[in-house]
Amino acid sequence: MFSTYPGQVVVDHPISVPIEHRFDPYVDNGGTLLSIAGEDFCVVAADTRQSEGYSINSRYVPKSVKLSDKTVISMGGCYADCLTLTKRIQQSMEWYQHAHGKTMSTAAVAQMLSIMLYQKRFFPFYSWCILGGLDEEGKGAVYTYDPVGSYERETCRCAGSASALIQPFLDNQINFKNQETQKHTQSLEKVLRITKDSFTSATERDIYTGDYLEIFVITSKGVEVQKMDLKKD
Amino acid sequence: MDTLFGITGKDFVITAYDSKAVASITLMKIGEDKSRELNSHALMLFSGEPGDGVHFSEYVERNIKLYGIRNGIELSPRAVASFARRELADSLRSRKPYSVNLLIAGFDVKTNKPALYWLDHLASLADVPFAAHGYGAYYCLSLLDRYHREDITEEEGIKLLDKCIKELRSRMILNMPDFVAKIVNKDGIRLVQLGGN
Amino acid sequence: MDTLVSKYANAASAASFDTADNLGENLAGWDAANEFALPAFDIPMVSNPVDFLRAHTDASAENRIRIQHGTTTLSFKFQGGIIVAVDSRASGGSYIASQTVKKVIEINPYLLGTMAGGAADCQYWERELGRRCRLYELRNKERISVAAASKILSNMVYDYKGMGLSMGTMITGWDKTGPQLFYVDSDGTRMRGERFSVGSGSTFAYGVLDTGYDYNLSVPDAIELGRRAIYHATHRDAYSGGSINVFHVKESGWEFIGNYDVGQLHWDYQAQPKGPIS
Repeated sequence: MFSTYPGQVVVDHPISVPIEHRFDPYVDNGGTLLSIAGEDFCVVAADTRQSEGYSINSRYVPKSVKLSDKTVISMGGCYADCLTLTKRIQQSMEWYQHAHGKTMSTAAVAQMLSIMLYQKRFFPFYSWCILGGLDEEGKGAVYTYDPVGSYERETCRCAGSASALIQPFLDNQINFKNQETQKHTQSLEKVLRITKDSFTSATERDIYTGDYLEIFVITSKGVEVQKMDLKKD
Repeated sequence: MDTLFGITGKDFVITAYDSKAVASITLMKIGEDKSRELNSHALMLFSGEPGDGVHFSEYVERNIKLYGIRNGIELSPRAVASFARRELADSLRSRKPYSVNLLIAGFDVKTNKPALYWLDHLASLADVPFAAHGYGAYYCLSLLDRYHREDITEEEGIKLLDKCIKELRSRMILNMPDFVAKIVNKDGIRLVQLGGN
Repeated sequence: MDTLVSKYANAASAASFDTADNLGENLAGWDAANEFALPAFDIPMVSNPVDFLRAHTDASAENRIRIQHGTTTLSFKFQGGIIVAVDSRASGGSYIASQTVKKVIEINPYLLGTMAGGAADCQYWERELGRRCRLYELRNKERISVAAASKILSNMVYDYKGMGLSMGTMITGWDKTGPQLFYVDSDGTRMRGERFSVGSGSTFAYGVLDTGYDYNLSVPDAIELGRRAIYHATHRDAYSGGSINVFHVKESGWEFIGNYDVGQLHWDYQAQPKGPIS
């Protein structure tokens, strides 16, 4: 073979290209998570079932992780992505601790998580994140995210497979939407009752929710974890 | 889709663009500038993919101006058009091509002749006595064929442009509100008032 | 040992921390060359990353990544400055993801940006814009013009054209040249204007806004026009709703006017006579 004009690329051997199969790196492992902020506390709760399609992988895989005495993260969606994301957050928080000699505030973790999610704007983490904790004034804070990092501070939020079942209930019980009742913040006892009711009810109607309920209660004294049984069918 | 016109005369080129800015079915703005002055005697009109027109023409504008500053002499319209064509052709073979249609109107101060170049989004370059881009071209090229002469005066040029715009207003389903016309001649580039407006 | 002694011997002098090495340590790897570098985004290792993203955000995708969408936002210039009004609903498909979204992004005390399209895209890039505007201020000892700020945003997102970003924003503010309003979107379009509305409910908002607009509107009337236009958009556009946030841009910077729940507003407007047609 010879080139017909200068600079022409001549190929005299077969070109081998990699065969590309369909790249589908996502799976929905189900599960429901919820967080409610109170005046001086925050509750983060999630069921512990992990499923794939109609099979249950495990009855106890926690979705929430304590990040500091003031912050807890809860994630649902693709469990592999959630693991990676949790690891990244924990490592960044450790570096921050070493660099600045103090623990990251909840607001700082919240902003950082937004940027971490956006970093993968073109290859998103399949994850629903809810960050619960106490802010710098000791008030309860809930930060919620979409998969690519848009975030907002709210008083309560439910995400995951039963979110559409529980969120309207929270709107009614926590935010008193469309009611004449005087709006007020709920006590910890009431919030815990609402949380437990949310999950027992969701377990009745959502196949991806059940087994155990793990509740993280964040107060100025630290993080306390409660475990409760949910139906296992 | 935007409409652009260019008509050469004895010692000038007259150009026009419709000044609409559209986003899907909404008219966002009237009075959007769809031209850039590349140097004192060369004008570029653009249409096509939103965003690409402004970015490409400003890129060309800055390079042409830089050439003028570095060398103390400005590029001729022919050279300007060649540069723009080559940049567009190279971009076409890149990962993200510009998708713009262009008209380059100039006045060559050396030969004292007007020049008009038609460039499409595939970087075809043509040296033409008159030109149009967009749907307006389907209505007006025949009209220009019928009435255009090489030696028309500026007044005749403006009248001819008015005829084109009048035809668009009467035949095209799209509303053609405000056209902005600019003339390039030996004195440089200036805005002109159209009779029809 | 000698180096240790000399280090502390010089501690009082200015020379102790202006060496290149120390500067690097103090600022934890800060590098001037990278100051304007965009963050490196992770890209999937496939031949066409754009198709990958599209396949997984598409309505037909098995595990769909729902990116929040849907909006009505508006902004207009008038005698008293600029009014910015927005709704607060975010939807992922047909599910209302939130009724309390802040769609006016406070870039700095003199600049506002609005949010339409991808919530994360607007939030992220307008935050990045805020950072760059602050750097401009520190370097030039004066505030950035709205024209320049909007161009920075436009150029940043234009670099990612065709990769799936979705952003339709209005950048407003008051600079040396007075009140300024720009429309910037992820296509790379950027234009100066007097009156814009962006989002799925924009056509409805335009209808009320264009009809009731007058440059000489008083401040309360202008606020009311903005609020009313968004209200009517939330009434007709299912993707818009929640509550309305109104901002007023003045010479002294922007001011938050108020948050109005659409549920209540509807009955307030119902109770008012519509008045004569002038």
